[in-house]
Amino acid sequence: MQRSLNNSETLSGIIQKPQFSPYTDNGGTVIAVGGKGFVIIGCDSRLSSGYTINTRFQPKLFKLTPQTVLGSAGCWCDVLTFVRLIEARLKMYSYEHNKTMSTPATAQLVSIMLYYKRFFPYYVSNLVAGLDEEGNGVVYSYDPVGHCEQSTYCATGSSSAFIQPLLDNYVGKKNIANAEKGKLLTQEEALRVVNDAFVSATERNMYCGDSIILNIITEKGIEERVIPLRKD
Amino acid sequence: MFMTRSEYDRGVNTFSPEGRLFQVEYAIEAIKLGSTAIGIQTSEGVVLAVEKRVTSTLMVPATTEKIVEIDDHIGCACSGLMADSRTMVDRARVEAQNHWFLYNEKMSVESVTQAVSNLAIQFGDSDSDGNAMSRPFGVAILFAGVDSKGPQLYHMDPSGTYVQCDAKAIGSGCEGAQQALQEAYHRSMTMKEAIKCILTILKQVMEEKLNSTNVEVATITPGKGYHMFTKEEVEEAIKEIA
Amino acid sequence: MKYHTQSPASTGTSVIGITFNDGVLIASDDLVSYGTLARYRNIPRVLKVNEQTVVGCGGDFADFQHLSKIIEQKQIDEEANNDGFTLTPKALHSWITRVLYNRRSKFDPFWNTWVVGGLQDGKPFLGYVDMLGTAFVDRAVATGYGEMIAKPLLWEAVEKKESITEEEAKDLIAKCMSLLFCRDSRAFPKYRIAKVTKDGSVIEGPFEVNVDWSIAAHVQGYE
Repeated sequence: MQRSLNNSETLSGIIQKPQFSPYTDNGGTVIAVGGKGFVIIGCDSRLSSGYTINTRFQPKLFKLTPQTVLGSAGCWCDVLTFVRLIEARLKMYSYEHNKTMSTPATAQLVSIMLYYKRFFPYYVSNLVAGLDEEGNGVVYSYDPVGHCEQSTYCATGSSSAFIQPLLDNYVGKKNIANAEKGKLLTQEEALRVVNDAFVSATERNMYCGDSIILNIITEKGIEERVIPLRKD
Repeated sequence: MFMTRSEYDRGVNTFSPEGRLFQVEYAIEAIKLGSTAIGIQTSEGVVLAVEKRVTSTLMVPATTEKIVEIDDHIGCACSGLMADSRTMVDRARVEAQNHWFLYNEKMSVESVTQAVSNLAIQFGDSDSDGNAMSRPFGVAILFAGVDSKGPQLYHMDPSGTYVQCDAKAIGSGCEGAQQALQEAYHRSMTMKEAIKCILTILKQVMEEKLNSTNVEVATITPGKGYHMFTKEEVEEAIKEIA
Repeated sequence: MKYHTQSPASTGTSVIGITFNDGVLIASDDLVSYGTLARYRNIPRVLKVNEQTVVGCGGDFADFQHLSKIIEQKQIDEEANNDGFTLTPKALHSWITRVLYNRRSKFDPFWNTWVVGGLQDGKPFLGYVDMLGTAFVDRAVATGYGEMIAKPLLWEAVEKKESITEEEAKDLIAKCMSLLFCRDSRAFPKYRIAKVTKDGSVIEGPFEVNVDWSIAAHVQGYE
């Protein structure tokens, strides 16, 4: 069968011509682990384009309310736009209803805003971390078009394939015989696993590194920490 | 009330020199021709009761619905032009469902009231093909519900103004009923007391004799949400005050 | 489908920028290429917006000219308002990000990479925006080949010390521009520097790239 020629090919060979794509992958990893009375969400601070590092310090966590943080990685221009839109929606909500939006409400809004762009999606991996009605940690993870799942731990972004299996085993106690399933981590344990996950992912993934930015969310507020990572 | 008739009572967008919008005031007057509706807020929930005017024995009383459900946790009682109230109830229901869709949570009673009052004040607006609305809505509404702040009762009039109330009466018997509420209401009222109170007052201000076909009663409680009384339940409640 | 510009025509190459202790420098050469042809050889690609804001731009030159006109008009409007508010580098950086993102979303991009610099509330500000609307802020930025060739030097300088002087920054720019000229086939030995300090902004130059070709004679084995 004769193969048809696409735009970038001619009979004389392949000619390199810039082809426009509205998407790019700027990397970035976000991890969240929740427990009783707290949730930890962390991101790496590297922003990359292909083999180049755009900047070594680009936070990917966005404080939406005093108890909800959004972590966003992927196509950075979409992240910037999406975050601005959601911040505006949160502000409008607080003016209209005289209260700050709860974490479950924010989670639902994120899903709907993503699905609204179903046929020209935001190329973004999102995690929403916050506290539920009882003040316990909850994590919501999304795909780019708005599928939403609630859990107590999740990893997303460029290193998710490295980290999610680790969290499944260590936090979710998966594939462990006689393990006490459903037992939540303490804050110290959670901090440690998030830290170790980032350090390990940095060893293996080019798009992860420079530093970890952590947000520890409790009823008292949000504590921020920065931990250095390998810069190569 | 209106000493001088003037040209200022025609347009809905024209203030009189005294700073009044006559059409809105007339609309508020129209409520006073409507049947009486009463709402009482207690710490256990909210009660709504309305009088249904059965003007003919050939009329089917069940077809006049003056207390309606907005969402599982909100109901409302209307007095005035019932046809107008349909539009507003529709808006309230759409807003409540949209809020649930967007935020996966129950819309607060105040927010529902606010959303409907946004519709109520649109009478002055116009769009490309003339006036969107020719006059204010001729209804007052009592919004009753339970939200994160607990049981709530709001009253909204045709000007779009809304106020939170402990107890409120609207419609033709509102003056007498409000006076009676003033005396009977106390903060520690139970739901049972409130139902008794509301029917006693309704009985006083109604021209006809109170029975299970000419009155509607609904409660909104944290446990059961919106609940419209069945004929049997109304009869039971009437027996209590006899 | 409506025809959109899906590739650039006349283009400029790298732009580099660096912050120093009390200001910023943005540099780019004077060349606009047409494919591999060095077509226009005397065209500055840095622009003074006002006394606290400058921009530099690589990529499609027509898109740069078009946006320059709009930015200049924005500045005139701001001045005419005379309300004490001016176009700050942070605001302009955000505005360019929105404009480029909106055009990429229409599949009709402005084929540019921008560097925006200046003084924001008295502190040096340096931002980057690409044709998609990817934007970030850093102490040193570079576009195109500059990102690969110049940025390692720029970053080394800003990471080694808490802050560098204007002299050190200028020397570094000169070194980067000559390095770019040596390795980037679309670069040019004449460049300009846009500078912002508390004394205002100025476009300096043109400067000549300092390249020593005397060693060329000793290179053997490629004839």
